[in-house]
Amino acid sequence: MFRILKKSLKTGIVTGQHPEPAQSCPSLTPETHEKALPFTQSLAIREVDTGSCNACEMEMNALTNPVYDVERFGVHIAASPRHADALVVTGPVTVNMERPLKDVYKQTPDPKLVIALGDCAIHCGVFKGSYAVTGPVDRHLPVDVRIPGCPPRPSEILDVLKRLKRST
Amino acid sequence: MTERSSAVLQIQSAFPDLTAEHPSERVVQYRVDKSRLPEVARFLHEALQGRLALLFAVDGRPFEEKYEIQYVFSVNSQWVLLTVKLVGQDRLFTSITPSVHAAQWYEREIRDLFGLIPQGHPDLRRLVRHEHWPKGTHPLMKDFLWDKAIGRQQGEYRFRHIEGEGVFEVPVGPIHAGIIEPGHFRFSVAGEPIMQLEIRHFWKHRGIEKLFEQQTLTTALPLAERVSGDTTLGHGLAYCEAVEKLFHLEVPRRARYLRSLFLELERLHNHLGDVGAICNDTAYTLAHAHCSRMKEQVMQLNDRLTGSRFLRGALAIGGVTHEVSAIQQSELVDVLDAVERDFAELESIIFANASLTDRLETTGVLTERTAWDHGVVGIVGRASGMDQDVRRDRPFAAYGELGVNVALYRYGDVRARLRVRMDEIHESIRLIRDIRDKIPQSPLVGTSDYQPQHGEWALSAVEGWRGEILYFIMAGDNGRIHRCKVRDPSFANWPAIQWAVIGNIIPDFPLINKSFNLSYAGNDL
Repeated sequence: MFRILKKSLKTGIVTGQHPEPAQSCPSLTPETHEKALPFTQSLAIREVDTGSCNACEMEMNALTNPVYDVERFGVHIAASPRHADALVVTGPVTVNMERPLKDVYKQTPDPKLVIALGDCAIHCGVFKGSYAVTGPVDRHLPVDVRIPGCPPRPSEILDVLKRLKRST
Repeated sequence: MTERSSAVLQIQSAFPDLTAEHPSERVVQYRVDKSRLPEVARFLHEALQGRLALLFAVDGRPFEEKYEIQYVFSVNSQWVLLTVKLVGQDRLFTSITPSVHAAQWYEREIRDLFGLIPQGHPDLRRLVRHEHWPKGTHPLMKDFLWDKAIGRQQGEYRFRHIEGEGVFEVPVGPIHAGIIEPGHFRFSVAGEPIMQLEIRHFWKHRGIEKLFEQQTLTTALPLAERVSGDTTLGHGLAYCEAVEKLFHLEVPRRARYLRSLFLELERLHNHLGDVGAICNDTAYTLAHAHCSRMKEQVMQLNDRLTGSRFLRGALAIGGVTHEVSAIQQSELVDVLDAVERDFAELESIIFANASLTDRLETTGVLTERTAWDHGVVGIVGRASGMDQDVRRDRPFAAYGELGVNVALYRYGDVRARLRVRMDEIHESIRLIRDIRDKIPQSPLVGTSDYQPQHGEWALSAVEGWRGEILYFIMAGDNGRIHRCKVRDPSFANWPAIQWAVIGNIIPDFPLINKSFNLSYAGNDL
């Protein structure tokens, strides 16, 4: 017990100890801001991987670590699409994941946002054209926000989520 | 007498009519007739204790009307390659799964991707092609267009069922509750304990091997780096090593040291994350918070060194793209010294916690026998007493001059897999210090004028953080890739989970799965 306390005191507060986002993402459209209005207090995210290389997943996971601590901005990760306000989709949509993605979208209650995370979700990246890839996310779902990068850094994802929540 | 010749001699005395070819260093190849193959494979597996490391097919067209099936066994520290040729319209080959269990997924994969049928395979359900793919879709056949849109048909996968009073099934996935990749797990349970688990994967199949064939040897590195994002450097390095063998290219010494340095950094950030995640799955979030903080430190370090948190773009064919100066190296070692002290304190906190260790011990035991039967590699193998590490057994990059202590545990439970990771964290930091002391001066990239001919091939192995990564690359015309077979350690290890969970309760499955921490992307390709 004493050891744990000592460790915590020694470590101190690490939140926010990360470089500033290097590239700024394209600004959000007025329509997106309007669509995001109901979520200015809290935003529940469901992450759906439709064929990424799993680097984007690692960066989404990094958002929940003590350095980025996304929950302090009222953003949390929901375990089910039925509890979600926004879907974060990563990866090109593979032939095998097309149906599950559409199912998840249907199960997410309205109003909802769709965020395409990473180059693959936006334009299929290096997997473009493959027989096993049906296309980027916006071929299947209406996409509201695009966060480019391969993968985008957590600080860049955080920056977009913060702006989305401000919605003014 | 060396080990190398002893394996060859034993094969020679058992099968006098086979002739050994030595296409490259540490590889011995035998061309075997289709009808005799099961016998030879069984001999390699049982008498010589050879581990089936890789099994794949190559479509010889348009140059020759044939298919080749290659069986790669690891015997001691040597590759023994058996090659079977199917000529003309022949589409059948004999399954070796009945005697070499590790072949089961490979043979089903060959059937799906090439339409070749493994006769006598006990389970001929589809593996990679899900049931909605139309009949006759075999994407790695050369006459299948890489960008062809595949249609849809009706079909349903038949799971194995256990029947009996009180037995019910729990389907999980493909989309899971956390931020993880898609895959389907079907549990048969009676009460709490798991009686059977069946894994249904390949949701993320992106056709990577076909995409490789559209590229040239020198341009496909970015694709290799995106096979499995968490192993960016491991896959990139394995790809580079294979291509460099094809070009007869000598990598400068400094570049080889930097490659080892990057590979250890990748191992470090993944292992730190895993230790935390295993603790998190027992609801011990304190350790998770500390570990993910340390992981973040290492990833920021990666970013400062190479401009990518995942070390993307750090490698080039023939060397590395980023120099790490003496100042950066001392900064690096200072940060890692601090991380090691930090982590050592955390280790003692973790193991002082009885309720945590109680969850870890005897949970998800993978016995050495089961691990051996599945040809399990990497951390999972080393936790089950399989003493193997590519860095020591088949040195690549700078490991021939560094010397690696291999962490080995026998019990095969979650705790053993956690201990292997913890030991490897210390070993990686030691290796990085060693690299700083020994790194020589030299150019960063080597070149070569050699152009590989059509049909030349190379095999490379790299110990990524998860385990042995294998690349087989066959050159085509004009520097194109004729065939690139990728084997992530996950492909060998996934089926073993089905055995490790039996008798455990479902709430322990996430913990067991996390302790394996296999890649879905690297498995599904």
